Amino acid sequence: MGKTHSSLLISVSTRLNDQACENVQERAEWHYTDFVLSPEDGGSDGKALACGPAQCFIVSCETQPEGWRHPSFTGPAGGTAAATGKNEYDLLVIGGGSGGLACAKEAAQFGRKVAVLDYVEPSPQGTKWGLGGTCVNVGCIPKKLMHQAALLGSALKDAQHYGWNIAQPVHHTWSVMAQAVQNYVKSLNWGHRVQLQDKKVKYFNLKGSFSDSHTIRGLTKAGKETIVTAENIVIATGGRPKYPTHVAGALEYGITSDDLFWLKESPGKTLVVGASYVSLECAGFLTGIGLDTTVMMRSIPLRGFDQQMASLVTEHMESYGTKFLKRCFPTTVEKLENNRLQVTWKNTDLGTEETDSFDTVMWAVGRAPDTETLNLETVGVKTNSETGKIIVDASEATSVPHIYAVGDITEGRPELTPTAIAAGKLLAQRLFGQSSELMDYDNVPTTVFTPLEYGCVGLSEEAAVQCYGSDNIEVYHAYYKPLEFTVAERDASQCYMKMVCLREREQRILGLHFIGPNAGEVIQGFALGIKCGATYPQLMKTIGIHPTCAEEITKLHITKRSGLDATVTGC
Amino acid sequence: WEEKQVRGYPEFVQTGRSAHGRPIFALFCGDKDAEGRSWCPDCVTAEPVVRKELHNMPDESVFIYCLVGDRAYWKDPNNEFRKNLKLTGVPTLLKYGTPQKLVEEECFKAELVRMLFTED
Repeated sequence: MGKTHSSLLISVSTRLNDQACENVQERAEWHYTDFVLSPEDGGSDGKALACGPAQCFIVSCETQPEGWRHPSFTGPAGGTAAATGKNEYDLLVIGGGSGGLACAKEAAQFGRKVAVLDYVEPSPQGTKWGLGGTCVNVGCIPKKLMHQAALLGSALKDAQHYGWNIAQPVHHTWSVMAQAVQNYVKSLNWGHRVQLQDKKVKYFNLKGSFSDSHTIRGLTKAGKETIVTAENIVIATGGRPKYPTHVAGALEYGITSDDLFWLKESPGKTLVVGASYVSLECAGFLTGIGLDTTVMMRSIPLRGFDQQMASLVTEHMESYGTKFLKRCFPTTVEKLENNRLQVTWKNTDLGTEETDSFDTVMWAVGRAPDTETLNLETVGVKTNSETGKIIVDASEATSVPHIYAVGDITEGRPELTPTAIAAGKLLAQRLFGQSSELMDYDNVPTTVFTPLEYGCVGLSEEAAVQCYGSDNIEVYHAYYKPLEFTVAERDASQCYMKMVCLREREQRILGLHFIGPNAGEVIQGFALGIKCGATYPQLMKTIGIHPTCAEEITKLHITKRSGLDATVTGC
Repeated sequence: WEEKQVRGYPEFVQTGRSAHGRPIFALFCGDKDAEGRSWCPDCVTAEPVVRKELHNMPDESVFIYCLVGDRAYWKDPNNEFRKNLKLTGVPTLLKYGTPQKLVEEECFKAELVRMLFTED
């Protein structure tokens, strides 16, 4: 049931709520000059609409095609009709990842006409994937599943101490894990497709670029063009892994995280280049499943994170079996006859050049936005000249009216799924839901899923010192031993936590840092406290749950300032 | 495209094997009585919706219409469909060998059924 009118599809329904009626009313006027309203609707020719609580529109048209009688206006329940006069959609989202999908689905809830463009440019190695963005396909989800696979390997080793008869050593088959993970990811791709369809969000598998500030040109892989116009546009195209620029063979022979999770065969002996959490997390689970793994770092690990915690993370990885090439950077990658890769690098500490061969070289040297193909210059959307990311204000607006951006593509924002989702939802609520709430990027908790996990919320110790001065902060800390490690005879040297507080009367908690098993689960709850402005005295009044690792946070009492031994013993 | 009607898990597996190499779509429904009505009311609703969209399947497709068994069999948490095919409800419409499936009320929606038949 629909009729095209000047290239706009006007479709039809019988279930509209008040809000939707208003929407239709303001937008439908534009169409109604060509339509005649049947008198039984209480309407008059050309303009007025009857929109009563019966929620049923009946419109008749003078120049209707044969057999087309009474179309009704459609949309989702509570839904809408055609979009504003000159633009096809109320909202067009470019990028079907965490931020983009959240924004689109939220806007659709308000009865708006929404479309999503999603397109995955294959990686240089040819890897591609479905709807859902980085997190679902080549980020958080497969990462956490493979991290879990590695943890299970350790658990199997521990199990002996607890009485299980498991033949050691235990072996891991990459292809079984990979297939299971890949199948799960594909089910998520499908789930997103179903959700979009269900919420009446139009999905285009096209690569989008700007023609003008309300027009997007979408291209299929074959180059077929589709033009889409929208009142509001949200850019949520995220980022892709960077390749090093001055290393011969980097592009031809190396892979990135885009490829790692989709490998059908084991990567074998692997060199991971980079000091980011991507590098450490991947190297961590590769080690955990039994592969010979090396991390090459040019300088400090986990730049931007608390450096004391970052050192403990890498220390643990080293004792766990990951090899580290510190203060080294690669110079060339060559392919050998047996298909192995010969990597040469400079050791800046010793001033020497070294070399070794690997089955796989993975680059984890940073991520960059893919803004070049968007044609942002044509419409004047400003980007940061250094990072290429889109500059946005506190309301996610770009330099061009009606064009917004959310997620990894935006300058100065955390590159995290939950912040992209929250920002996308709030943006939709501000655009279509009469909300004025802005996204709060303060005290966003996060976790690095290395073999020994590191979770944190709030300021690092360095940032707190810089902000308030070391005299004005108090750092409480403790080395602890998870109960589960005792029987399993596991080394807990890096199990550590610290809390950075203001020293003055209230002693507000500025930052909390925890290394240990299930760090993400531990920190999540405390993030609420920090958001509410929790203080050290309030924390001390909080009773711990016993026996857990998290309870040690409620018992923190030794300060760095005191110089006392921070090792706490169990009960 | 062609349709094959089967009843029970072994028949389903055998038919699936014989169609190897072609896209296979399967609709699982509860058994029908002598009057042709299923004990599963959602299956009664879904079947005509699905049948109306069959023409959207790729040409070489095989559509397997599979009756799973009586209500008691279906309720058994260890029945072969639940165990081996991981079905969680009837009706289920799925594209065999992929994670793409529609369960229960999802099967009532023509656009979702069409999407399952046409998407990659």
